[in-house]
Amino acid sequence: MHASKKRALWIVNGTLAVIVILWTIPTIGLLISSIRQRDDIRSSGWWTVLPHQAWQDTGERLPIPEGQTRDQPITIEGKTATYAEWQQGVDMGDGRRIQWVGNLRLGELYVLNQNWTANTDFTLDNYGEVLAGREFEVRNADGSSTTVQGANLVGAFINSLTVTIPATIIPILIAAFAAYGFAWMRFPGRRILFIGVVAMLVVPLQIALVPILRDYVALGLNGTYLGIWLAHAGFGLPLAIYLFYNYMSNLPRDILESAFIDGASHFTVFIRLILPLSIPALAAFAIFQFLWVWNDYLVALIFLGLNNNIQVMTTQIAGLVGQRGQDWYLLTAGAFISMIVPLIVFFALQRYFVKGLMGGSVKG
Amino acid sequence: MKKVLLLSLVLTLALASVGIVSAQPPGCPADLFPLMTAELESACSGGLAGTVVTMTGPFTEGDEVKFNNAIAEFEEWTGIDIQYTGSKEFEAAIRAVVEGGAPPDIADFPQPGLLKGFVDDGFVIDVSTFMNAEWLQQNYLQSWLDMSQMNGITAGVWNRFNGKSLVWYPIAAFEAAGYTVPTSWAELEALEAQIIADGSNPWCVGIESGAATGWPATDWMEEVMLRTTSLENYDNWSFPADLADRLPFTSPEVKNAAEVLGSIWFAPDMVYGGQQAIVSTSFGDAPLPMFDTPPGCYLHKQGNFITSFFPEGVVAGEDYGVFYLPGIDEEYGKPFLVAGDIYAMFNDRPEVRAVMDYFSRGESVKGWLAAGGALSPHNDAQLDWYGSELDRSIAALVAEATSVRFDGSDLMPGAVGAGSFWKGMTDWVSGTVDLDTALAEIDAAWPTE
Repeated sequence: MHASKKRALWIVNGTLAVIVILWTIPTIGLLISSIRQRDDIRSSGWWTVLPHQAWQDTGERLPIPEGQTRDQPITIEGKTATYAEWQQGVDMGDGRRIQWVGNLRLGELYVLNQNWTANTDFTLDNYGEVLAGREFEVRNADGSSTTVQGANLVGAFINSLTVTIPATIIPILIAAFAAYGFAWMRFPGRRILFIGVVAMLVVPLQIALVPILRDYVALGLNGTYLGIWLAHAGFGLPLAIYLFYNYMSNLPRDILESAFIDGASHFTVFIRLILPLSIPALAAFAIFQFLWVWNDYLVALIFLGLNNNIQVMTTQIAGLVGQRGQDWYLLTAGAFISMIVPLIVFFALQRYFVKGLMGGSVKG
Repeated sequence: MKKVLLLSLVLTLALASVGIVSAQPPGCPADLFPLMTAELESACSGGLAGTVVTMTGPFTEGDEVKFNNAIAEFEEWTGIDIQYTGSKEFEAAIRAVVEGGAPPDIADFPQPGLLKGFVDDGFVIDVSTFMNAEWLQQNYLQSWLDMSQMNGITAGVWNRFNGKSLVWYPIAAFEAAGYTVPTSWAELEALEAQIIADGSNPWCVGIESGAATGWPATDWMEEVMLRTTSLENYDNWSFPADLADRLPFTSPEVKNAAEVLGSIWFAPDMVYGGQQAIVSTSFGDAPLPMFDTPPGCYLHKQGNFITSFFPEGVVAGEDYGVFYLPGIDEEYGKPFLVAGDIYAMFNDRPEVRAVMDYFSRGESVKGWLAAGGALSPHNDAQLDWYGSELDRSIAALVAEATSVRFDGSDLMPGAVGAGSFWKGMTDWVSGTVDLDTALAEIDAAWPTE
C-alpha cells in the first residue's frame, strides 16, 4: 500500500518533470539564441552549443581528378559516386570523409574526420544593443562621420510601467465594486445587467478599435496615457467582473448576515469583509491583466500609435528588427528583457493564483 | 545666501525663457531652393519658426536616424520641428489613425497602391494646389510625376527610391573562376551555362518572407516583363488608367514572361538548392551561400537594401560587386525597376506645405545619400553627394537606363499586389499548381471596379 503510493507519486512527478522540460525547451533555445552572434544564429541551430559530433576539416587536401563532368560518376580512392554526392561528402569507411569543395575545375578534395565540438562563441552584444540603443555611424556630406545612438529601451520600459500599472488597478477597483453589487445587492434588472456584462466577454476587441479611436480623437484622448488606461480597463472589465462575481458570491453568507445584523452598511461590509476575503481573486486577475497589458501590442499601437514619446516595450521591440527585418537577431534579447517584469509579478503573486482561479469553482 | 541663490535662479530662468522666445532661426542659405512656394519662402525667412509637423512612415532604427540626420539642417534653418515616428506596422497603423480622424501631417508610403486607397477615400491633399508645377517638371523625370497622379490629383512627392534591377556577385571568387560580368542577356546565358558546366549553381533565389512570401518572385516577373514587352503593356498590366485597358495576367505577354522566368528558375542546377529551395529560403538568407568559400552560387538579384542582410564584415567592391540585369530584347532597351517612397500630406497648414516643398528637393535627402542606403529621384541631387561608392554606382546605373518603372506589385490593388500575386507565384514555384492555373488565380483577385 505504502510502496504503491510512493510509486504513484514518482510517476506523477516524473510525468510533470518531462512536461516541464518539454515546455521550457523553446524558451531555453530562445535564451541561448539571444547570446549568440548574428551570423551563428543564421547558420546553425542553438542546440549546436551542446557538445556534439561533427565532421571537421583535417587540413589534408587531395588533388581533384581532372576533366570530370557533373553527369558522370567519379571515382576517388576506389569509391565511385556522383559529383553531387562528392559535394555532400562521401564516407570512405575508415573514419574519413572526403568532400569535393569548389567547382569541377578549381575545386579541392577536403579530408574530414569526426570530432567532438561545441559552438560556444557567446556574446552579450545583443543585450547591449537592445538596452543602450544601437550605434549608427552616419556619414556627413563633408566626409566626416558621427556616431548616433539609436533609441534605447529605458524610456519604453518606464512607459510600459506607466501604462500597465494603472491599467491593472483601474479595472480591479471598478470590477470589485460591480461584482459585490451583482453578488450581494438586490436591485431590479440585476440579472439582465449581469448577463450583459458576461456577454461582453465574447466581443473581440479588434472590432471596437476604430470606433473607439474616433471617439478618442473627438475627445482629445488619442495618444494619451488616460486613453490607453481606459481602453485596457474597458477591455478587461467583463472578465474581471465575472471572475470576482464567482468568487464573492461563494463567500459564506453567515459572515455577511451577521455583519448586517450588527448594522453595517454595504460599503462597510465591502471594505472590511469582502475585499480582504477576495484578495486571492483580485491577485489572480491582477496577474492576468498585468501580463495582458504588458504584452499588448495592438491596443498600444492603435491608441498610443504614432507618438514617439510614449512608445511601450512591445512596439519598441517590434521596431528593433528594422524596416525589412534585417535585425531580427535582436528580438531574442529584446524578448528576454521584456520578460523580466512579468516574471517578477508572477512570482510575487503566484501563491494567490491557483487559489483565486479555483475560488469560484468549489463551494467552500 | 539662500535669497541670492533663488534670485539668480529666477534671473537665469527669465533670461533663458527670453532666449527661447527671441531665438530667431538663421534662415535657409540664399538661392538654395529655386521656384519656392510662398510657404517655403516664409519658412526660410523664419516665419514658421516654432511650428510642428508630424510625420510617420515604415522606416525605423537606422533609417530613422539617417532621416532625422538628413532633415536636421532644415529644422535648424527654419525652426520647424519635424517629428517623425516610425512603425513596423505602418500599413495597419496608418489606416487606423487616418480613419480614426487623427492622421499625421505627412506619411511616407513605400507602396503607391496603399496611398491610392486613401486618395480614393478623399483623405489626401492635392499637392498641385500649392506646389510650383514648373519646379516639379524640372526636378523629376516624367515617370515619377506620372506615378504620383492618382484619381486626378497629385498625391504626393517622391523622396527616395531603391534600385531593383541589380545582380550581386562575389567579386573575388567570380574573378578567380575566370568569369566576367555579362552586359547582354546572351552573355548572361553563356555565363549561366559556364557556371553549371563548372559544377556550381549560378543563382541564389529565395522568396520566403513570412506572410509576404512570394514578393521577390513578383520582382523577378516585373524585371522580365519590362525586358520582354513594351512599357505601355507594363503600365497597363500594373497600373491601368482605365480598367478596359488592363493587361490581364492570363495574357500571352505575362505568360511569356513567366515562362522566361521558369526557364531560369526551374532549369536543372540553375538555382542553389534546386526549385524546392526557392520557396523555403528566406529572401534575407538567400544571398548567404554567395559568401561561402567556395561560393554556393555566383549571382543574386535583389534590390540594394539586401546589403543589410549580408554577413558582417563583407565589403562592397572587395567581397561583392553589383551589375545591371541585362535587357533581354534589344527593342525594349535597358529598363530599370525601382521602388520608392512617396510622401503624402493629410493636413493642410502652411508649415506642412513648406515641408512638402522641401521634400521635393534633393537637399532633403542629401544627408541620407551621404549616410548611404538611399537613392534620390530628384534631378537636382548630385552624384557626388553619395557617401558610398556602391550607391553612387547604382545611381549611375539608373541614370544610364532607358526607362524607369516602379515595382508593379506595389502599384497594383492590394488584393493582387500584396495578395494573389505573391500567393500565385509561390504556388507555381512550389509546384502546387501549373502556370495557367496560377495566372488565372492571380488575375481573378483583381477588383472589378
